Amino acid sequence: METIVKDQHVSIEKPEIAAPPDWEPVIIGILCNWCSYAGSDLTGTSRIQYPPNIRIIRVPCTSRVDPWFLIKALQTTADGVLVSGCHPGDCHYITGNYYARRRFLVTKKLLSFIGFHENRIQFSWVSAAEGPKFAKVVAKVTDDIKKLGPLHLYKKENFEK
Amino acid sequence: MDYTKQIREIATKLFTEEKIDVFVGYRTTGFDENQVPVIITGLEEIPKLIFNDKSVFNLTNYLKQEHTRNKRVGLIVKGCDSRSLNLLLTENQVKREKLFVIGIACEGVCDDEGNKMQHCTECMFPDAVVFDEMVGTTHDARLYQVNADVRELASKSLVERREYFETVFESCIRCNACRHSCPLCYCAKCVIDQETSTLYHGANTTSSAFHALMTWSLHLAGRCVDCRNCESACPMNLPLHLLHKQNESVIYENFQEHMAGVVEGDRGAFYKYSMKDPDDFIM
Repeated sequence: METIVKDQHVSIEKPEIAAPPDWEPVIIGILCNWCSYAGSDLTGTSRIQYPPNIRIIRVPCTSRVDPWFLIKALQTTADGVLVSGCHPGDCHYITGNYYARRRFLVTKKLLSFIGFHENRIQFSWVSAAEGPKFAKVVAKVTDDIKKLGPLHLYKKENFEK
Repeated sequence: MDYTKQIREIATKLFTEEKIDVFVGYRTTGFDENQVPVIITGLEEIPKLIFNDKSVFNLTNYLKQEHTRNKRVGLIVKGCDSRSLNLLLTENQVKREKLFVIGIACEGVCDDEGNKMQHCTECMFPDAVVFDEMVGTTHDARLYQVNADVRELASKSLVERREYFETVFESCIRCNACRHSCPLCYCAKCVIDQETSTLYHGANTTSSAFHALMTWSLHLAGRCVDCRNCESACPMNLPLHLLHKQNESVIYENFQEHMAGVVEGDRGAFYKYSMKDPDDFIM
């Protein structure tokens, strides 16, 4: 794995471009309805603090997540993506997260292969009872993305960002 | 490797016995040694047919088109082509009983300079896996090896890889020739085109090329048979095989899969799962 640049506002992929000092990462969280979404709800109702950088999208199951969603999120606005679902064996649709697990690995490796740090997309299993774990996961992902810096995805024409 | 004679004989036999309506094969371009696909409809056109080292195209792509649909088709397949045919059969895109398949025991095809293509030197399955009649002498089993280009690029640093692929995505003109030439891209409406604003997202920009090529290669992961129709169709000569071969190596190393399309009824790595799949990257 490549060394992580200590300066928080320099992109690891494009060190020559500096981000503004008030830069905050944008993280898209894609959560499964039955476990992680309920888990994040529990985090909120238990009044546990977690970083506000995450924007949550609810999906029926992690196997609903086409690798296209992750690519699309990175192409438009996100600096990082978190996909979270049920623990293996706990899937509401019995086997959905097993299928998803394969896709995630291939997507992660391909993204790393074309020159983006593989921590830009992260995955976690969070059950509906794991409110504190969800807060920890979000904190860790936010911390990781802050270390990696902004994603200058071929920014010269990416004027929506 | 020159099977012109055998293929003309089989085609003549098929047309005289009225087993097929059309035959998909290769002919010369007429002005150089290179070949183009040809669809012939009768005995009088058989002298056009040719098959040798320059027959690079994957003809299963022509099964998707209007002039072969609902007809009995004769078809030439090499090793890689037969695997894509196998996938099309498994995915119910073509009917086996309407096909007469001439399988080739392929010894590798050549590029414009006459050198053997790189993917043919690494080919695991040179013999056709689906066929009605086999031409040539079959080969022994070969071992899997990671693509040399992928290995070379993976040894470079993150920034170098990002710079390399930035030039690749910059050169892409979003003509979608790769998608049209791919035998396994048959969706009536492609997900890459399903955009709210085609003016922005469909534009010829580097980030839209990133989006299109990455999505395309991930939708083909576990299905790509490495026939390299996409690369021969690409007007900008982009190294599209890098993305596919990277996915293939990850799938092969982590899931211990058969290669795409070798076993009939096997839909590819993303359509099944195992309890032993790697889990260490998930929090």
